[in-house]
Amino acid sequence: MAKKKSEGYLSAKESRRISRENRRITNEFEKKRKRKDVPESEYLTQMHDPKNAVEFDNLHTYFFTDAGTVKAVDGVTYEVPIGKTVGVVGESGCGKSVTSLSLMQLLQRPQGQVTEGEIRLNLGDKAYDVTKAPDTVMQTLRGNAVSMIFQEPMTALNPVFRIGDQIEEVLALHNEDGLSEAQMKERTIELLEMVGIANSEGVYRMFPHELSGGMRQRVVIAMALACNPRVIIADEPTTALDVTIQAQILDLLRNLKDKINSSIMFITHDLGVIAEMADYVVVMYAGRIVEKGTADDIFHHPAHPYTIGLMASKPVVGKKIDTLYSIPGKVPNPINMPNYCYFKDRCEMCVEGCDGAYPCEISLSETHKVSCYRYYDAAKKED
Amino acid sequence: MSETKSKLVIDNDFTPVTYDPQYILMVNKLKKYFPIKGGMISKTVGYVKAVDGITFNLKRGTTMGLVGESGCGKTTAGRTILRLAGEKTGGQVLFNGKEVYDFTAKEMRSMRPKMQIIFQDPFSSLSPRLPVGEIIGEAVREHNLVPKAEFDDYIDNVMDQCGLQPFHKDRYPHEFSGGQRQRICIARALALSPEFVVCDEPVSALDVSIQAQIINLLRDLQQRHNLTYLFISHDLSVVEHISDTVGVMYLGNLVEYGQTEDIFSEPLHPYTKALFSAIPIPDPDAKMNRIVLEGSIPSPANPPSGCKFHTRCANCMEQCKTVAPEWKEIRPGHFCACHLYDDC
Amino acid sequence: MSDNMEKKTNTEAAGEQHYSLNDDRRVKVLSPGAMVAKRFFRNRIAVVGLCILAFMFVFSFIGGIVTPYKEDQQFYRIDVQNKEYAGVVLNKDFRFAAADGQSFPSTVQAQMVIAVQKGETNFSYHDVNYSMVKEGEDFYRILTADGTTLAIAYKDVVNPSVEGTTLSFDFKYNALKAFTNKQSSFTADGKTYAMDEIGVVTENGEEVAFVNRYVVQAILPDVFLTRSFREELISELEKGAETFLFTDTDGVEHEYIVEYKPAVQNWIIRQETETRIYDSYASPSAQHWLGTDRNGMDMLTRLMYGGRVSLVIGFIVEAISTILGIIMGGLAGYFGKWVDMLIMRIVDIFYCIPSMPIIIILGAAMDAMSVDPTIRMVYLMLILGFLGWPGMARLIRGQILSLREQEFMAATEAGGISVSRRIFKHLVPNVIPQIIVSVTMGIGGTIITEASLSFLGLGVKFPFASWGNIINDVNNTYVLQNFWFIWIPAGTLLLLTVLAFNLVGDGLRDAFDPKMKR
Repeated sequence: MAKKKSEGYLSAKESRRISRENRRITNEFEKKRKRKDVPESEYLTQMHDPKNAVEFDNLHTYFFTDAGTVKAVDGVTYEVPIGKTVGVVGESGCGKSVTSLSLMQLLQRPQGQVTEGEIRLNLGDKAYDVTKAPDTVMQTLRGNAVSMIFQEPMTALNPVFRIGDQIEEVLALHNEDGLSEAQMKERTIELLEMVGIANSEGVYRMFPHELSGGMRQRVVIAMALACNPRVIIADEPTTALDVTIQAQILDLLRNLKDKINSSIMFITHDLGVIAEMADYVVVMYAGRIVEKGTADDIFHHPAHPYTIGLMASKPVVGKKIDTLYSIPGKVPNPINMPNYCYFKDRCEMCVEGCDGAYPCEISLSETHKVSCYRYYDAAKKED
Repeated sequence: MSETKSKLVIDNDFTPVTYDPQYILMVNKLKKYFPIKGGMISKTVGYVKAVDGITFNLKRGTTMGLVGESGCGKTTAGRTILRLAGEKTGGQVLFNGKEVYDFTAKEMRSMRPKMQIIFQDPFSSLSPRLPVGEIIGEAVREHNLVPKAEFDDYIDNVMDQCGLQPFHKDRYPHEFSGGQRQRICIARALALSPEFVVCDEPVSALDVSIQAQIINLLRDLQQRHNLTYLFISHDLSVVEHISDTVGVMYLGNLVEYGQTEDIFSEPLHPYTKALFSAIPIPDPDAKMNRIVLEGSIPSPANPPSGCKFHTRCANCMEQCKTVAPEWKEIRPGHFCACHLYDDC
Repeated sequence: MSDNMEKKTNTEAAGEQHYSLNDDRRVKVLSPGAMVAKRFFRNRIAVVGLCILAFMFVFSFIGGIVTPYKEDQQFYRIDVQNKEYAGVVLNKDFRFAAADGQSFPSTVQAQMVIAVQKGETNFSYHDVNYSMVKEGEDFYRILTADGTTLAIAYKDVVNPSVEGTTLSFDFKYNALKAFTNKQSSFTADGKTYAMDEIGVVTENGEEVAFVNRYVVQAILPDVFLTRSFREELISELEKGAETFLFTDTDGVEHEYIVEYKPAVQNWIIRQETETRIYDSYASPSAQHWLGTDRNGMDMLTRLMYGGRVSLVIGFIVEAISTILGIIMGGLAGYFGKWVDMLIMRIVDIFYCIPSMPIIIILGAAMDAMSVDPTIRMVYLMLILGFLGWPGMARLIRGQILSLREQEFMAATEAGGISVSRRIFKHLVPNVIPQIIVSVTMGIGGTIITEASLSFLGLGVKFPFASWGNIINDVNNTYVLQNFWFIWIPAGTLLLLTVLAFNLVGDGLRDAFDPKMKR
């Protein structure tokens, strides 16, 4: 019995080897990061398309854990145009949150490192490569050029400070316009009204525990909008809320989209929310993008079997089916992924070519791209 | 016979129902209040009216969906029916004709295998320091449901039905993904050969593709073992798929109840209508004529007078503010509590 | 239609079984125990603590077996000391001897001395008349009014030559008379004695006594000074010598040191003798690596045995507290309501008890009752353990209260699991990490408490060693300043042990905490 128990667990020798490897690799990265006085030329770059707010270019983010290297994001390339909303869809473990954390450089170091790739952030007159920027520069960017709305509104606010103080803190930290205190208070009340809080003066003085989940999420949104950021990352903002409150928040976000000129990166696993909010959709699976395109492409012409499966497995009100379609199998453990299509073991539409290496990206149209062997022939014929 | 009596009986004016054998569960004006203690000597200053009088019957082998938002009391209702939340405050719960709250502690323990529950959070409902085989098998051993010789095979069989493999028996819960943990919870409930299972938001914490698998699994098990489900959820699309009857709760009351097709094709109560319109549809071209409810859910400790929904209702009338509406059968098999249908 | 059939190759070694992506066995993870161990050993400070503890255990338990000395084995050394041997005084005052059957009290003696100084031959005291007759140089005979001899007053002392003999009044009188008048013979008690110039009295050639103005007395008991010793000594003294060599009857030559004390006008004769004494406070040497203590016992051995006592007491006391604490805390946490109230009020009462005074009183009481040291140690452990359970009970109760509300406990209730199984299989294993951490910290505290008590003399008693009672020696500042090897090793060992326990406890707490980043 004891032998059976230890089978499937790492042996001490293996785990030591893994630890040694991890330490070696992370030390290298940490050394580079901890340099002082990094010249701007190192992280100054050019946007490939000036109409994009953020460009992810072959991003690789790895976590060096005790059980092995987790390739959370393994070669992700997409753009977020200015003023548009990009929805990133995927299930837990696909790497969508890690992508946004890489953009904000909020990864848990030393285990989490961006090992390869670039993230180009458009700051108007110049562009920075966020992966190479040091912490001091990142501090000026966070909250200012890039802001984030988190998933859990109940814990996102500091319970010992008033709402007004917390929003003013963001303004005061990045005070580029040189606002006075009275002006900051005015702007805070303005923001609270913009997010649909009726009693803005009252809420300004309240503590977070006096507000409900929906109200707190509105406050978090107000904080995100405070410094007119270029990109807002919304990481599953409505998952923890009730359906009616979710409706309110989505309404609010849609209205704001027209007023402000920021791009929104909307991360979620709910296809319905994506359909409402997003202009472009990126579908991720096990750290890689399997399909991307406009909302119309994805919802009306889904190409990748995973996307098709996802849409089919969600029950829709009004459509009566006997057995719900479900994608067989489960999301794989991201450690030591093999070199063939990650979805192969679950896919019901495999073709011969699927036995080969990981498929490359194929363009089905100008906007619609997919990584699947089913479209290889079609692409070859076009060539 | 009954040595357990309700400690707090606020309103005992229900007419006891007679047992109808086709219903495995009959709930009659069930109430569950939680006292709020305040002041220096912890006097009871008020009550949180978590469940404020719900009535429904559940036919054997069917699934009833119970929907509502957070704070409406559906989870408390599920646990109160199973006698997992202390004493009831009022009403009746008849399981197979017998009042659940009249059992002695010993009788209750032997009744437990028949009425099981699957919890919402698969991680916190599994004991962190026990291997999975133990978690699934300990109650079976406790109640001696299976002779010792067949025990291992029985557990393997149960795990197989739930999509787990035998080598999982020695692993610990934290090594599994969310979907698999939920399968372990289902296996734990199934191992006791229950008749009635309360599924308390079993798929809310899971990914979409796994949700479908778990729902199919539950359906499959229901057909195989003739189980009866009380499916509690806030996800209307899932509830529509799996349930035969649906009840909608708001702030401790049932506002509407009926067959699934009836409720979803013709919702009567304003809250139900608003709820249905709030579901996001995965089609970017769909027209959104959403009824957006103003305000937020009131506190169950201090519910509004009259109809509890009147503060947020678009169709609010004068009498809604003072008089609570009656629970009436508006169409055959379709119940509702709303003043709009007072003259039906 | 790809032709590179890179089928099923894993990056691991070939020959390893290939699993599909859906199979859990594809990726191996660490078992829970291995994970805790890994996080513990990554913490260097905790590993240092663990090494120190290992060293302490080996030192105390295995060292105690290996050492050649016993715990209370005393060592001796030969010390040459100048002991006071004899004293010499030149008799300047009158000495008196009463006649047989007569008494000559000191008050009358005083009167007589006054009379001599005045040069009178008669004196009286309290209306009793006495008269004196000068028989020789500084030698008088005192008579009563009716002419009977009352006493004699003399300054030359008559000493017997043979050990153990006493001289009669008559003999003394006649000897003195002969001596002071420079006669060569006299009769006393019917015998004839010869006397030579220096005052030796012989009877038929055998030496019987000698008369001398110098009084030589032995200071050490059992020492009889022969005449030759006295004569040679006196002649040396008159020469003013500072050392004096004398061969005694056994033929051994001794050296004596003469010391004159002008204040009392006498000489002290010292002899160098070798004595065997306890080898206390010996400095570190090859035989005793850390020297010896006040009682001449080897310090290193006592440290080893002391380590055993301190560590064992620490563990047992902690074990008693923990077991009591788990039971009480478990009951209070699980059952709640009045059981909880009752147990927590008992805990409150225990917290109000001033433990130090109680232990001091009990220690003093055991001193008074002269309790056997082994039994005393047992009592000490029981008392300390019993006073320590409230802390653990509170901790465990808190943990169980929070665990009880978790969903898995509701699940066990829904499964109809029995109460005892719920407590011992579900609740307690989840509390074990906290218990382990609290216990390791607690042992450190207990060791210090025991050391403090032993230092005060109330804990472990002699002959048992304990690090605390070894340090007890430094009550005396002389020892503190001069004999560092008494208290520095014991103090250092105590410090290191308690520090190591705390470091290990901290390391364990970090290792068990699932939320720690590393």
